[in-house]
Amino acid sequence: MSAPKSTTTGLKKRENAILDLLKKGLERKCFDTVLIPVKVPAGDSYVWVLAQDNSLLDDASPLPPVMPVHGAKAISSVMRRGKGRKRIATVMRPCEISATIELSKLGQVELDNVFLISIDCPGVLPLSDYLENPKKGGDAFEKVFKQWGNGSVRPICQVCHRFSMPTGASDIHIGMLEAGERDIFIISNSPKGEAILKELDISPKKEIGSWKDKVKEITEERKNKRKNLQEELKPGVVGLDRLLDTFSKCINCHNCMRVCPVCYCRQCYFDSDKLKHPYEDYLFRAEMSGGLRFLPDTLLFHLGRMAHMSLSCVSCGSCEDACPLKIPVSQIFGLVADETQKLFDYIPGRKTDEPVPMATYKEEELKEVED
Amino acid sequence: MKGEFTPKIVGFLCNWCSYAGADLAGTSKLKMPPSVSSIRVMCSGRVDPVLVATAFLRGADGVLVAGCHPGDCHYEKGNYYARRRFAILKKVMETLGLESERLRLSWVSASEGPRFQEVITEFTEKIKKLGPNPVKEKTSL
Repeated sequence: MSAPKSTTTGLKKRENAILDLLKKGLERKCFDTVLIPVKVPAGDSYVWVLAQDNSLLDDASPLPPVMPVHGAKAISSVMRRGKGRKRIATVMRPCEISATIELSKLGQVELDNVFLISIDCPGVLPLSDYLENPKKGGDAFEKVFKQWGNGSVRPICQVCHRFSMPTGASDIHIGMLEAGERDIFIISNSPKGEAILKELDISPKKEIGSWKDKVKEITEERKNKRKNLQEELKPGVVGLDRLLDTFSKCINCHNCMRVCPVCYCRQCYFDSDKLKHPYEDYLFRAEMSGGLRFLPDTLLFHLGRMAHMSLSCVSCGSCEDACPLKIPVSQIFGLVADETQKLFDYIPGRKTDEPVPMATYKEEELKEVED
Repeated sequence: MKGEFTPKIVGFLCNWCSYAGADLAGTSKLKMPPSVSSIRVMCSGRVDPVLVATAFLRGADGVLVAGCHPGDCHYEKGNYYARRRFAILKKVMETLGLESERLRLSWVSASEGPRFQEVITEFTEKIKKLGPNPVKEKTSL
């Protein structure tokens, strides 16, 4: 034990059970390395670490209270110059797994040598709340875990209806709801996952009915909550004036785009010279409408991102966490994404072999948009 | 006529069908409202939603995307992709309460001069009823 003084809590017990699994996997060479969040030495945040030896795993936290860097961002960074032969196992929250799957469809991640382990997620605290007092944040998260999400997690997490992966695209899923005080459910979701569990001499739990029921129950509850949140959000953001008001605070830092796990372009159009116009152009625009805001094209940036990426949006909330002006970006994105995804009956990260809607088509569809 | 609102419509016309159709409408001397500024693109599939959004946010009263009829794309499937992209942007705008009816997607082949005339006339009339694009007066875009 790395911290003998602290009492082992329910959350820590579960985390240790997951870490034991990973350590065993490393020892038996089921995989060569583990990509996992680890508490920074200063103790006030978590970072993703490619952990090669077991001692590093002692400080790892499969379920940290915050999400400073999105897991899909981490793994796609590992593979930015292509894949390798060594096998990586990674434990991620469902939104991180889903985004990773999206990135694999977009050619940014190769899953051949990756074992995706998903985990029931109670949500995360807003990064800014946590950083104010990490110690308090840690305690608050214990409560979040016990109550399975409460008012202290981010608004988008409070209404997350994909907090588990009962039939997901991960290889192994770790169920925690209804698993008892110190236990976890280890569920294989793919042949790859099954093979690993066999190598680790773990027989997948058969009696997971209670977990499944609980997941279903919370999913339904959250779906309603999500609808309610969106209805509350709408009056403040829908309509040209409301929308402009909402984004008028935006300082064009583009943090939301940079932290977005599925915004994968290496050169963003909105950072490019394409959007740097001649002097006369700006003066002309100012003349036409009586004035022009600087930096300009704020709404274009957000609309453009929604048109480009909302289909792959997994509602992870990273954009909102990263917004220094506290614009509810992820809630607005979620509102739009639900609608655009519905157009194609698409759920990001649902399957690995389902192309993103922008990369495919049907001959007979969308007649309603033609005139 | 002075005082009457003549809409400004930006038209993204595909090189192989709709642009040629527009040309045919012109050479056939078909009468159309002078509302469209056409931008020739190699394929309607090239029309990124951001281009449409740019035209809209810069005050175009209407934006038209026109390409070959489904099945007739010069590149086989560009217009199918165009339709998806267009539908996505339309949905984004609709959800956010922006006037998505100012966007139009139409198929016009190279031989359909009269069809082009009809599309332009109809769309111009529709936009006239909607009035000028309100973004024109906004300074905080």
